[in-house]
Amino acid sequence: MRGDVPRRGEATLAALVLDHVVKRFGDFTAIDDLSFAVPEGGIFGFLGGNGAGKTTSLRMALDILRPTSGRIEVLGRPPGRENAAQLGFLPEERGLYRRMSVLDTVVYFGRLKAMSAAAARKSGLALIERFGLGEWARQSVDKLSKGMSQKVQLAAALVNSPRLLILDEPFAGLDPVNQEVLEELVLEMVRGGSTVVFSTHVMQHAERLSDRLLLLSRGRKVFEGTQDEARAELPRKLSLTSRADPKGLPGVLTATATGKPRDGWSDWDLALAPGADSADLLEACTAQGFALRGFEIHKPNLHEIFLHLVGHDQEIVK
Amino acid sequence: MNGVLLVAAREFRQIVTTRGFWVMLLVVPLAIAVSQVAGRFAAPPLNVAYVVADATGQYAPAIEHRIDLVHQGRVLGDLSAYAKRWKVDAAAPGAIWAQGRRWFSAPEVEAFVAAGGLAAAQRAIAPRLAPDAPAFTPPPAPYLPAAVPAGVPTDQGPGRFGDALQPWLKGDIATAEGRRPLALAVYIPANFGAPGEPVRMWTNGRPNDVLIEMVRGELTAGLRAKALRTSGLTPGAYARIEAVSAPVVVSAPPAGGGREQVTTRSLLPLALVYLLLMTVMVTGSMMLQGVIEERSNRLLESVLACIRPGQLMYGKLLGLGAIGLTIIATWVAFAMVAAFAVHGAMADFLRPSLASLDQPWIIAALIFYFLAGYLIISMIYLAIGVLSNSMQDAQAYLTPVVMVITLPTVFMMISAVKTPDGVLPRVMSWIPFYTPFAMLARLGGGVSLVEVLGTTAMLIAFVAVELFLLGRLFQASLLRTGQPPKLGAFVKLMFQTQPD
Repeated sequence: MRGDVPRRGEATLAALVLDHVVKRFGDFTAIDDLSFAVPEGGIFGFLGGNGAGKTTSLRMALDILRPTSGRIEVLGRPPGRENAAQLGFLPEERGLYRRMSVLDTVVYFGRLKAMSAAAARKSGLALIERFGLGEWARQSVDKLSKGMSQKVQLAAALVNSPRLLILDEPFAGLDPVNQEVLEELVLEMVRGGSTVVFSTHVMQHAERLSDRLLLLSRGRKVFEGTQDEARAELPRKLSLTSRADPKGLPGVLTATATGKPRDGWSDWDLALAPGADSADLLEACTAQGFALRGFEIHKPNLHEIFLHLVGHDQEIVK
Repeated sequence: MNGVLLVAAREFRQIVTTRGFWVMLLVVPLAIAVSQVAGRFAAPPLNVAYVVADATGQYAPAIEHRIDLVHQGRVLGDLSAYAKRWKVDAAAPGAIWAQGRRWFSAPEVEAFVAAGGLAAAQRAIAPRLAPDAPAFTPPPAPYLPAAVPAGVPTDQGPGRFGDALQPWLKGDIATAEGRRPLALAVYIPANFGAPGEPVRMWTNGRPNDVLIEMVRGELTAGLRAKALRTSGLTPGAYARIEAVSAPVVVSAPPAGGGREQVTTRSLLPLALVYLLLMTVMVTGSMMLQGVIEERSNRLLESVLACIRPGQLMYGKLLGLGAIGLTIIATWVAFAMVAAFAVHGAMADFLRPSLASLDQPWIIAALIFYFLAGYLIISMIYLAIGVLSNSMQDAQAYLTPVVMVITLPTVFMMISAVKTPDGVLPRVMSWIPFYTPFAMLARLGGGVSLVEVLGTTAMLIAFVAVELFLLGRLFQASLLRTGQPPKLGAFVKLMFQTQPD
């Protein structure tokens, strides 16, 4: 496990810090001694199966829930509504005031985040236009489709151009087109200097977007770091086609033949020993005259990493 | 603008855009307007005609005189009130109509008629009448005499008379004021007073007990006079006996001191109790729906990321309070317009009620009890909203709560109208949930300062405790999912210091 938590008073550029945080609901421990830090800028993926504690952690960062013990810092300050002006939040469970107009909704949330009426209106109108809802600005929310409503809620989260944007399962319920729109928006926010923390149990999104990852399982951290660091947690795998058995090659941990030999050539799946590198293996093959017809490095995806680190009993989606 | 005000403004706007709000807002003004219009245009014609066939030739003029005298009494009463209202009683300080509305004896009414009646009074009043004062409209004579229709025999006995009148009793008959429904026909036989010779009467089937009683009273008086004369009483002695009447002096109380004024003064606080009940139930339901919508929509999490649960709660209460005040202010404004800018029965009814608001402490007490009651009940609605996942859940809580609030309040109001200082209103004045209702209901009848101050202090403390507990409930329940809690869990939610 990686990820050092900055100490209190330590100079830091962390947008969000959880330090030995515990949250109990009665006898049930939802978050168990969780520590991690989200550096400012970039996209931080919060991964875990259902019930892993993602939403609880984010609610604590927003001061909707209070931790049983531990320390939390948001943009260098304790959690609280004082931070609302610099935060954007899209909850997992979506909902809007049905009888409010689209523009009023966005402006209302902007004002709740301490914006002036004029600024909230200007920013709200720009976002509504951007999301293609300009014609619907004065329509009540109950006239919108589900996808449109989600855009309105996203606009409400972004209206204050937040320094820290917290998205709880942001892709849930979005069609592929809107998922792409949201991904582009997240990247744009980061290019503009914001920090994005998003939780998901869909590994594809995390893989495409996250600079850093946190894997949660039953309230406990099982990994924190970059995607490359996550992959390094798994034994390197590759496939090759050779005439001879590759078990004796340097760095090979296991070698399993797949299928029957064809014209003297066999297919093999190899797992490398920890620290071994596939490039070194290729070099050794060349040096030893080990005949190869195929050599394919297998890059593990996040799903495999997750299963490796967390186990198979967590509900996740590839 | 801080979070509380933002939430309040949103709640206010949300409720104001509902149809239910406008229906409720306009129901009182509409009721006032309808009563004005109804009073002016839709008043049922009360005057009906009667016919007397008097074979004796002695009783008909006396009956007609008595009926007219009753009508002149009503004219005198209304004229007295009019003179007081438009301050023209000084035009003839000695006149009987210048002494305020009260009960008038028959000789006083006779004196009014003898002095020229309404026409003479109006002549005296006219020069002093304010330009904006409406003309006095006398009440219509309820019973108008009519001549026996041609073709109806009066000399062939009651049977023929009655038969011949039947068609007329089903329709109208000519009177001095035009055609009117024939309500009563009277046949007085020639030897009326002899055994077996009753006076016969026919009605048109509608109740006219007052008219029948007046005719019967005059006939009885005639028979008694006849009996006295035949007993040997000299005409002079009989005249003296008949002139005897019980010496009665009826004193009218000063304005605001008598039963009539107490009842009138009680109108506004009592009306406020009804309005409070109605307003808080309707707007409370609207707020309840709003909270349930927020919970079921899951949009609370977005809101709670920006403001504290307490701010949300205060904002909702403030918004709802603003709705209540808007409704009351609108109703009072309409009532003022109706009372002071419009003339009619409703205006006459409302004017003294609003005039009773002549002391700042009464206005302050009315506003305080109204707002306290509004807050106390609203918070119950809010608590139900926080605990419920759907309107169905809410109904399960709401039905008993509404019963517990309204039934005792209605009983208390009935009791307060009869005896403002009765046991029930006094006891309920010290039960916080009912205090605003009971004190409002009793204010018109007079409440001691100790009770006002004591209940005020108690209500302030109670509202503070209720707010504190509701705050706990809000903190603990807003994001709760699953079944609504049972009573034990509900109490635990309110009293736990660190919500899960």
